[in-house]
Amino acid sequence: MSQQKAYSPGTVLVLVGTKRGLFLLTSRDRETWEVETTALKGRRIFFATLDQREGQRLYAAENGDFFGTFLRYSDDFGQTWHEPEVGIQFPEGGQQKLENIWTIVPGHPNEAGTIYAGIDPASLWVSTDSGVHWEINPGLANHPTRDRWEPGAGGLCLHTIVADSSNASRMWVGISAVGCMRTDDGGQNWVFANKNTRADFLPEKYPEFGQCIHRFVQHPTKTDVLYQQNHCGIYKSMNAGDDWIDIQHNLPSDFGFPIALDAHNPDTVYVIVEDQDGRNNVNEQFTVYRTVNGGEEWQSLTEGLPAGPGVRLGVLRHGMCTDTLDPCGVYVGTNTGQLFATNNRGDSWRLIADFLPPIYSVTATVLV
Amino acid sequence: MDSQATIPSATVILPYVLRAKAGNHKSIMVAGSTIREIIDALDHDFPGLQFNLCYETGELRPFVNIFLDRENIRYLQGLETPVQMGATIHILQSVAGGCPDTLTAPAEPLRRKL
Repeated sequence: MSQQKAYSPGTVLVLVGTKRGLFLLTSRDRETWEVETTALKGRRIFFATLDQREGQRLYAAENGDFFGTFLRYSDDFGQTWHEPEVGIQFPEGGQQKLENIWTIVPGHPNEAGTIYAGIDPASLWVSTDSGVHWEINPGLANHPTRDRWEPGAGGLCLHTIVADSSNASRMWVGISAVGCMRTDDGGQNWVFANKNTRADFLPEKYPEFGQCIHRFVQHPTKTDVLYQQNHCGIYKSMNAGDDWIDIQHNLPSDFGFPIALDAHNPDTVYVIVEDQDGRNNVNEQFTVYRTVNGGEEWQSLTEGLPAGPGVRLGVLRHGMCTDTLDPCGVYVGTNTGQLFATNNRGDSWRLIADFLPPIYSVTATVLV
Repeated sequence: MDSQATIPSATVILPYVLRAKAGNHKSIMVAGSTIREIIDALDHDFPGLQFNLCYETGELRPFVNIFLDRENIRYLQGLETPVQMGATIHILQSVAGGCPDTLTAPAEPLRRKL
């Protein structure tokens, strides 16, 4: 992989996917930030991530307004981009068509080259050669309940992929509005993992599947522990998704999209719940909510975040992330183009970029 | 009889954003009896270009417009529109400004509840 552009090791790189372009923010100290554009100017970028397992390859999900949807990769931090030789496409002449690519996730650390993508229509795609060739996971694509899966308004999208950090055969995916699914055999078979999560919009409130899951994350050391933000609640699982516990407690809403976790203090979890009708902050104070005890209670984090009668900020499902430093950095991008950050676990926040296009996703990586 | 001689050739004018994928050509002479054959021929010469224009199902992408001698093929016979020798085919993107967010936003709206 060629490297034309380089950053110092230890630099924090935040990839910001927006409605009109992919932006890079970099900082050595998480105090001052440099904002750069990439060659994907004006493109509709749902998601981007950097894979450092073998070189530094950047992947982006470009869901074009006009000429199609493409996963692209770059080995020079976005200056030039490549299309896969065999990309994410359904067979020609069939009934299915690629709508949007929602997420791209590097696989296990010991499987350099393996990378996953989740798309609409809901399916999991796998590359074992760093994104050059892609193929669909047939176990999920041919799931016996597949013809009963219903979309959310964002489409029938597979938006979350968690490759178990401790077990290469285990993985979870999140599909709206199907719910959480898990494989324990490397993707051959998939089971639903939605017990005790609500689907208030269905006649059956606790179905086997049909939940509108929004995002979930895995505890980095207690790998059976998952945290989930759902359309209808915030949940925690202690048993790999076999069942879930409602941890909304004192949160002012059960509705929100993103969820993120402090890698060094993994009982610390961040959510941004919203007013369900407005899809923005519940009151006049834009707030990030933090639990430091695994969801037993939630704190409102507001220092440095805007407030007032005109403050109505929304954050999409991939619009919040954490870095892996200690103290944890948290990054929140709004659908009106503000990017807020904290370098002290959320105790105080700063606006590190403004006037961006609507932000779809943020991902943070500490460069090696 | 040379079968190639019976296939009409047309001049295809590409939009700026697709030219890099087609050898940086602004226009290309392509042989084909229908618009679909023209697209097939383009894809043969420049693999992957068809996917920019059509879904895997074969249907034309909604915001791609193809004009055959200034007529939008959607108002002719679509991709099966016959192509005459010497025709000029423009491939353009739609003027899609003002498109409702519901068509493009990746948020998770309330469709299930409506």
